[in-house]
Amino acid sequence: MGVLLKKLFRTIWNTRGQFLAVTAVVAVGITVYIAMTTSYYNLNHSRDEFYRDNNFADYYFHVVRAPEQITRQIESVPGVAAVNGRLQKDVPLVREGDQKATARITSYPVPMEGINRIQLLSGRLFERYPQGGGVEVLVDPQFFTANRLSFNDTISIVSEGRKVSLSVVGTGIGPEFTFAMKDAATLMPDPETFGLVMMPLNQAQQALNLPGQINQVIIKLSPGADEKEVAGRIEELLEPYGNLSSYPLKKQLSHAILQGELDGLKAVSGFMPFIFLSIAAAIQIVMLGRMIRGQRLQIGIMKAMGYNNRQIITYYTSYSLSSSLMGALLGSVAGIGLASVISEVYAEFFNLPRAIGGVNTTSVITGFALSLSVGAAAGLAASRRVTKVNPAEAMRPEPPKNAGKIFLERLPRLWELLDSTWKMSLRTALRNRGRFALMLVGVTFSVGLLVMSLFASDSIDYMINKQYFQDQRYDYLVRFASPLKENDLLDISRIEGVIKAEPVFEIPVKIHFQGKTQEDSLQGIPRDSTLKRLENQEGRPLSIPGEGLLISEKTADKLGARVGDRVEIETLLGTGPSRRASVKVVQINRQLVGGGSYVSLEQANQVIQERRLASGVMLKVDPGRFVALEEELNDMNNVSSISSRQKELDNFNKNLEAMVYSIAIMVIFAVVMGFAIVYNSSVISFAERKRELASLRVLGFTSREVSGLLLKENLFQSILGVAIGLPFGRLMSQGYINAVSTDLFTIPVVIYPLTYFWSALGGVFFIAVAHLLAVRGVKRLDLVDVLKNRD
Amino acid sequence: MSKNVLMRLDHITRTYIMGEVRVEALKETSLDIYAGELLVILGPSGSGKSTLLNIVGGMDLPSEGSVHYAGDELSRAGDARLTRYRRNEVGFVFQFYNLIPDLTAVENVELAANLVETPLPASGMLKEVGLADRMGHFPSQLSGGEQQRVSIARAMVKNPRLLLCDEPTGALDHQTGKLVLSLLAGINRDRGSTVIIVTHNTDISAMAHRVVRMRSGEIAEIIENSQPVPPERIDW
Ligand SMILES: Nc1ncnc2c1ncn2[C@@H]1O[C@H](COP(=O)(O)OP(=O)(O)O)[C@@H](O)[C@H]1O
Ligand SMILES: [Mg+2]
Repeated sequence: MGVLLKKLFRTIWNTRGQFLAVTAVVAVGITVYIAMTTSYYNLNHSRDEFYRDNNFADYYFHVVRAPEQITRQIESVPGVAAVNGRLQKDVPLVREGDQKATARITSYPVPMEGINRIQLLSGRLFERYPQGGGVEVLVDPQFFTANRLSFNDTISIVSEGRKVSLSVVGTGIGPEFTFAMKDAATLMPDPETFGLVMMPLNQAQQALNLPGQINQVIIKLSPGADEKEVAGRIEELLEPYGNLSSYPLKKQLSHAILQGELDGLKAVSGFMPFIFLSIAAAIQIVMLGRMIRGQRLQIGIMKAMGYNNRQIITYYTSYSLSSSLMGALLGSVAGIGLASVISEVYAEFFNLPRAIGGVNTTSVITGFALSLSVGAAAGLAASRRVTKVNPAEAMRPEPPKNAGKIFLERLPRLWELLDSTWKMSLRTALRNRGRFALMLVGVTFSVGLLVMSLFASDSIDYMINKQYFQDQRYDYLVRFASPLKENDLLDISRIEGVIKAEPVFEIPVKIHFQGKTQEDSLQGIPRDSTLKRLENQEGRPLSIPGEGLLISEKTADKLGARVGDRVEIETLLGTGPSRRASVKVVQINRQLVGGGSYVSLEQANQVIQERRLASGVMLKVDPGRFVALEEELNDMNNVSSISSRQKELDNFNKNLEAMVYSIAIMVIFAVVMGFAIVYNSSVISFAERKRELASLRVLGFTSREVSGLLLKENLFQSILGVAIGLPFGRLMSQGYINAVSTDLFTIPVVIYPLTYFWSALGGVFFIAVAHLLAVRGVKRLDLVDVLKNRD
Repeated sequence: MSKNVLMRLDHITRTYIMGEVRVEALKETSLDIYAGELLVILGPSGSGKSTLLNIVGGMDLPSEGSVHYAGDELSRAGDARLTRYRRNEVGFVFQFYNLIPDLTAVENVELAANLVETPLPASGMLKEVGLADRMGHFPSQLSGGEQQRVSIARAMVKNPRLLLCDEPTGALDHQTGKLVLSLLAGINRDRGSTVIIVTHNTDISAMAHRVVRMRSGEIAEIIENSQPVPPERIDW
């Protein structure tokens, strides 16, 4: 086999351009595969460990307030393995310079035990009764860093109108806070203005003025327990204490976001390598096919000598196996590197304390196995035709290929318009069906991938523009610690720089319909509001009705409620009694981020049986006055939080950096694939027709004219590929979005015309470069040599 | 010379069907090939010489009739059996040399040597054909005559019982052709291999023990030559 091995190496060397091009596509496929599966594995693994180590809760129950002892009763419910009663509440936090932020207070037992424990990251755990008094707390590391805190710093929260000072003794994180976002309506976590504050139960009870009380119960189920049934029994037990909401693990916000990311990663880690490896296989098949056809005579000689089919097939298959092996090697190195970058980004994005990097041997091994099987399959598929080579016949010059008419010739009018070089090019292009298909599919996929790489930024841009500039016309949303009379808002609207102020009333609610229940946020806004724009599912603007509900699309879907139905609204304010009201659905509203069902401000008041109250105010402000206004608002006692459009957008943009990198990488991959296909196709068609092209040169064609001929051959497939690639990219984008969409958010597939333009241009670019490189040989065509020799 | 039949072709016909056209390249041809003889197959172009040689070499099967080699019926053999036959018993030399372009001279010979258990030394074979100093050259760096000599070395390295040559001098000039023919005669004389040379050149037949004359797919006559002339003394 030594001689054949030498021949193999020489063949690889002589076809190095093509060999490297295929290898690159394999390498990209394996890179993506290893990077994605490793990241998936790392993220999944570190999540699972984190959940297990800290005993992640199976079910959450929120009540207005209940006595601590209620946990004993819950403990005895069959199916409950462990119970923890705790306090959790969002309270205003006063930052340096009196800026407002929100603290999510969560209580823990001391010593730390039970469900949803904290993992200490730095400093030390809090004590129940610290020496020298005071309250010790842990905060989440992002908040700690974003607010430039150090140990034993004091932070202040406002509770029941009192300022309470807390001493930060360390940082820690619990399994329910892997993605520390305030609620589903927020775009991104903002650690500057939202912090997790963890403290002993006794201290939380005191700080929140709820002695002996809890407002949340979390449980762990025993194996095999019926989740629904257990939850139902516990809800009954908690009924007297004001059930606000209850949900299982899979609806828990940070878990759902993490799971969404994992699902997306999984889908992509299957889909993307599949594309690249299929294309690589197709190139290998076409390339080897051409090689085998070109070496018919050599195969005949080897057979005449006594080589059998298996030996010859093994030889040719080794060629594709070599490129697969090399691709797998390069892909593994790049994949492991990329995986560590992705893992780093994840580690930054999610609060997972466990080391998240690392090489996943299984995925490397699987990567090699995948790559080699693709190479073997392609090699075998292509070299099957070796068996059909009859040695006696191979020694005779190849019989002419079938020279039938191509379909264009059936359109005589069109056909006659073409000059003879076009006719020649089109005939060759259309007769080589395998290569035609490869080129078409390859260009289609590459251009599609370009669209898919670029579309995310369009969609996000569209979403941001829609959400923050078209629908939300206010610059600030100010929330109050307790509802204010509408008249009191005058204080705010008179602040210098406020152009317009409109009251809002936000009420957390449950909406019931035909036995189904869905949590939602009821938003009361003035009927003539100009600061908040709503639209229906067709994108037409909605106006606030005097009477009736503009239910959110998500809630309507969940409940199966339609326009004209009456739904029951139950308030979950947490203070005062829960109210119920029956309201008619008059329209369905669609929003890209968050949600919320809208009513008029008057009706919101009616629901809670109050008059002329507002829980917050929307402000449109002169941009020059932003800073001064914020200062003034921060000084107001009853203001609990201020959300600024500017800050939310800044925070969001900070998080986009990772996306830019991933887009750049994807674009490179798409271009590599497109290039490899066009290059191989052109080289093959050049090699196959050397004699014909040389004869044209002898006739007097210039080398430029001959290159042009080859270009014309590729042009048809290329243009068709680009044309199909653009809508195909849209389809792939849609598929991608479907894969990564969760209950919490869907991104609309929006692709701007400019993106199509860039993708098409990218396609033209790789086609042109590949073509130019491939036809370099035309100039060097040695006429005498080519015409003298048989193949 | 004892007349030991090595191969027997019995009423073989070879028909090529190309669309509606049927070409009978061989018509009911019978021929015995004796061990150790030097046989020349002579005939004009298209008379079926190559077709006959290909069947003898196990590269092709007759449409009708039977081929026996050392007691085995080759005409019934499958692909695997034919491959084994070619591997162990036959060496081929072609008009256009047909060396593998991306292997050097010695590698071309080794390619064949690797196929059998006890090959002759590849470099020794090249020395024998006078190419000791050309071993590392690629075919494109060799002249036609040199390439043909490599191809003879390649055929002989397996030490085959049958050496089949299809127009071995067809692409060579007079002088080089003679050199190649004397190599073939030498192999027949010294190694005792059965050598079959296909040619359309009547003069060459002088070197043969027997001459088979072919005409349009049939054997016109078989001439025994009691006084073969060494190729060096033949002129054409
Ligand atoms: N594979 C084939 N397909 C069709 N016809 C063939 C094939 N091989 C040979 N022939 C025909 O058979 C006849 C004999 O060919 P061949 O044996 O090559 O003649 P020679 O070697 O004497 O010149 C010719 O007419 C030739 O065209
Ligand atoms: Mg012939």
